[in-house]
Amino acid sequence: MFGIEMVVIDLLLNFFSREEINTFLRDPQVTATIIGSLIAISGALLGTFLLLRGMSLTSDAISHTVLLGIVVAFIVMTSLLNLEPDLSSPWLIIGAAAAGVATVVLTELIFRSGLVKQDAALGLAFPLLFAVAIILISRFVDDVHLDEDAVMVGEIGVAWADTNSHCLSNCETVTITPDDERAITARRCVNCTAENIYPRDEGAVFEEYCGNCGTYSPAQAWSAGLLETEPILVFWPRSITVTAIMMLLTVGFVVLFYKELKLASFDDALAKALGLRPGVLHYALMVLVSLVAVGAFDAVGSILVVAFFIIPPAAAYLLTDRLSVMLVISAVIGSLGAFFGYDLARGHFLGIIEMDSVLALINRVFGLQLLEQWDSSISASMVLMIFIFFIIAWVLSPKYGLISVAARRANQRRIFDDQVVLGHIFNHQHDESEIMELQADDLYQHFLWSQQKMARVLRRLRTSHLIEIANNIVRLTQRGEESVQHFRQNNLSEHIV
Amino acid sequence: MSVDDRRVWLLIAAIAVLGAVFIPISQIWLDIEYDYTLRTVVLGSSILGIISGVLGCFAVLRRESLMGDALSHAALPGVGIAFLLAGRELGALLIGAGISSWLGVMFIRSLLSTTRIKQDTAMGITLAAWFAAGIALLAYIQAVPDASQAGLDTFIFGQAAAIVESDVRLIAAVSTVVFIVIIVFWKEFKLVTFDPEFAGANGFRVTFFNTLLSTLIVIAIVLGLQLAGVILMVGLLIAPGIAARQWTQKLDQMVILSAMFGAFAGGIGAALSAIDADVPTGPMIIVVAFLIVTISILFAPGRGLAWTFLQQSQDRRRFAALTTLRDLYKYATSHGGATHPVPASFMAGIGGASVDVGLAQLQRQGYIERDGAAWVLTATGAEAAARDVHNQRLWDLYRAYGDELGLPTVNEDRQRAIGDVLTVPAVTKLETLLKGQTS
Repeated sequence: MFGIEMVVIDLLLNFFSREEINTFLRDPQVTATIIGSLIAISGALLGTFLLLRGMSLTSDAISHTVLLGIVVAFIVMTSLLNLEPDLSSPWLIIGAAAAGVATVVLTELIFRSGLVKQDAALGLAFPLLFAVAIILISRFVDDVHLDEDAVMVGEIGVAWADTNSHCLSNCETVTITPDDERAITARRCVNCTAENIYPRDEGAVFEEYCGNCGTYSPAQAWSAGLLETEPILVFWPRSITVTAIMMLLTVGFVVLFYKELKLASFDDALAKALGLRPGVLHYALMVLVSLVAVGAFDAVGSILVVAFFIIPPAAAYLLTDRLSVMLVISAVIGSLGAFFGYDLARGHFLGIIEMDSVLALINRVFGLQLLEQWDSSISASMVLMIFIFFIIAWVLSPKYGLISVAARRANQRRIFDDQVVLGHIFNHQHDESEIMELQADDLYQHFLWSQQKMARVLRRLRTSHLIEIANNIVRLTQRGEESVQHFRQNNLSEHIV
Repeated sequence: MSVDDRRVWLLIAAIAVLGAVFIPISQIWLDIEYDYTLRTVVLGSSILGIISGVLGCFAVLRRESLMGDALSHAALPGVGIAFLLAGRELGALLIGAGISSWLGVMFIRSLLSTTRIKQDTAMGITLAAWFAAGIALLAYIQAVPDASQAGLDTFIFGQAAAIVESDVRLIAAVSTVVFIVIIVFWKEFKLVTFDPEFAGANGFRVTFFNTLLSTLIVIAIVLGLQLAGVILMVGLLIAPGIAARQWTQKLDQMVILSAMFGAFAGGIGAALSAIDADVPTGPMIIVVAFLIVTISILFAPGRGLAWTFLQQSQDRRRFAALTTLRDLYKYATSHGGATHPVPASFMAGIGGASVDVGLAQLQRQGYIERDGAAWVLTATGAEAAARDVHNQRLWDLYRAYGDELGLPTVNEDRQRAIGDVLTVPAVTKLETLLKGQTS
C-alpha cells in the first residue's frame, strides 16, 4: 500500500526539489490541511448519500463500532499470530470495515424482528458493540497506541511526524548479525514473567542476546549512526497515503456508480424494479463508510469524523437541489473547514478574530483568570469551522436560508394585504355602500388592522398607482381595476368569483 | 386484574427477588466484596438506572432514541465552560452540562422547524458540533499547567469508581424531583407522547410539555454522564425502555418495569465490574442492559421471537397434518374405501418435507397406522377426515350461498369447524342445502 508513495514522489520530483518536498510536508499545517481535506472530501461524498437516505446517524454508529473491529483484529494479531500491528495495518482496516458492516447487520436484525423501531435498534446496537470494545481494551490490550482516548480524539497535528522514508540515493541497508563487530550484547531475564519475579530477585535466569541485530532501512541506519554518507531521503507522512487511498476509493465509487446511487437514494423501489440491486449498493456504501471512518480515525478521531460525514452535506442540502452540485459543495465546505480549522486551533478565526483577544476580553468582563493563549485540538477546530460554515449556509442560503425565507414570507404577507384591500375596494366602489366602506381614514376598522398598517398598505398601493384617494374616498385607478380583474381570473377559483 | 397485568407484576417481583438474591450469590461465587466504595457505586448506578429507565420509556415511545446520543455528546462543552467559570465543582459541572445539552435540544428543534433537514441529520449536526466544541475546550483547558482539570475527560468515557456518597445523594435528590414532575404531569406526558395532535386540539400546551419532557431527559443524561460517559449513555437510557416495551402494552406498567430493568442493569453491572479491576463499570452496565433486552425480545410472552417461532411451527405442523390427511383420504376413497391402504411411495411422491411432518403428526394423533409399505387410516382418522371434508363443503356453500340464505358475515377461517363460528340454525340451513345438492 505504501509502494504508491514512491510513484507519487517520483512524479513530484519532476517539479520540485527534494528539499522543497521535505520542507513542505514537514510543515504541520500543510500536512494537517491535506489530510483534513482528503477526509473531508471522502466524508462529504459518502455523507451526501447517507443524508439523502435518512441514515446520517448510521455513520455515527459505524464510527464508534470500528473500534471493536480494530480491537478484535489487534488482539487476534498480537496474541494469536504474534505480530505487531499499527493502526494503518491492512488487517486492522479490514477488521474495522467488518465491524462497520456488522453494526448495520445487527441493527437490521434487531429492526427486522419487528419489535423495535429503527432508531431504537441503532441506539441499541452501537453502544453494545462499543461497550464490548472498551471492555476488551481495558482487559486485554495494554498498548499505548490503542486506548480509547487515541481513538476518540486522534491528533492530526502530529501527522507530519509519522512518516515513511523513501531513499533516492546513497541507499544502503545495513544488516547486523550477532557475529558483526557492531553487534551489542545485552542480557534479558528468561523466567521473570513466567514466575512473576523481578530481574533483581534471586532465581532469575538470564540469557545473552544481540541487542541491535536486524535489518536497518537507510533512514534507520543513518539515525543509528551506522552509515558514513547521508542517504538522500524523502519523508512522506503515512496518513496522507491512507486518507488519499480512501478518498480515491470513494471518488471512484461515486463516479462509477453515480447513476445507481442516485436512483437508489431517491427511488429505491424503481431501482429494484430495474434490477439494480440497491441492497448490494447499500452494503458497499456501508463498507466505504467504515473504511473512511477507520482511515480517518488515526488522524481526527472517531467521533469527530462523524462531523465530516454529516455537517457538510447538510449545509450543501440547504444550498442546492441538484445532487451533483450538492456533492461538489459539500466537498468544498469540508475542505475549507479543514483549511481554516487549523488556524482556529492556533487561535486565528478566519483571519478576522484572534482568540487570544477574545479570551482577554472575557477575562476583563467577567473578572476571570483564564489563560490568554488559545491552543486547542486541531480536529475539533476543523469540525467547528465546518459547523460555522453550516450556520452561514443556514442563515444566508438564497433559497432555504433563514433570511431569504423570512423575506419571502414578508413579501407574501405584503402581497396578501394588498390584494385584500384591493378586493374590498373593488367590491364596494361605485355603489351606495361606498361612503360607508371606503373612507380612507377609517378603512382600517373594516379589517381589524392597526391604523399604521392600513396607512402603510395604502401608501404602497398609491405609489404603485393602483388606487387614488379623492375626498377621503378610496377608489381603484385604471391600473388597479386591471390588476383586480387579472387576480380574479387567474388566482381565484370559480365559485368564489 | 387481567392475566397480562398479573404477569407484569409477577415479573417485577421476580426481578426484585433476583436482584436481592444476586448479592449473596455474587459474594460466594464471584468473590465480590461489597466494601464501602462498591456499595456506593452500586447504589448510585441503580438509582441512575431507575431514572434513565423511566425517562428512556418516553424517548423510545417518541421515536427519539438517538436524541439521547446527541444530547449526551452535547453536554461536553457545558462541562468545559462550567469548569472554566467555577472550577471542579460537580454541581456546577452538571448544571453546565445540562444547559449545554438543553441548547442542543433547542438547536435541533429550530433546525427542524425552519429547514427541510430531517431529525436524524439535525441530531447528527448537533452531536458533532457540540462535541467538537467540548473537545476543543477540554484541549484548551488541559493546556493549562494545573492539576485541577484532571479527570474532566471521565465525562467522555464515564468513571463510575469516582462516584462518592455526596454524588449519590445529589443523584437521589434530583431523581426525586424528576419523579414528582412526572407524576404531576403524567396525563399530559402520556398525551403528548402518543397523540400530540389530539393533545394540541384539546388545548394542552404541546410545545411546553415536549420541552419539559426533553428537559427531564437531559437531566437524566447529565446525571448518568459520570457513570456511563457520553457514548454509552444512550444505551443506558433506552435499553430498559425497549426491554420493558416487549412485556406490556400499558404505559404505567412499562415505566415501572423499565425502572426495575434499569435498576437491575445498573446495580448488577456495577457489581460485576468489581470482579476485576480492569473491567470498566459503564460498559459492563450496558452489556447487562443489552442482555435484558435480548431476553425480552426472545422470550416476552405473546410478542417475543421464541414465542412467535413456536406458534409458527405449531401452525405449520397442524397445516401439514391437515393437508396430508386430506391427501390420504382422497386416495383411499377413490381406491375403494376410507380404510384402503395408501402406498408410502405415493405419499413420498407428493413430495415436500411437509408430508413427512404431516405423517408423523397424524401417527402421533392415532389417525393413521403403518402397514408394511403402506399407510392406513384408522377408524378415528377416517372419521376425522370425513368430518373435515364435510366441513369444507359447508364452507364452500357458505361462500356461494351465504348472502342468499341471509347468513351473518363471518371471517372465513376454514381451519375451524363451521359450527364454532355460525349459529346452529345457520348450520342447519347449510346442511339442508348440502343434502339437497347431493341427492
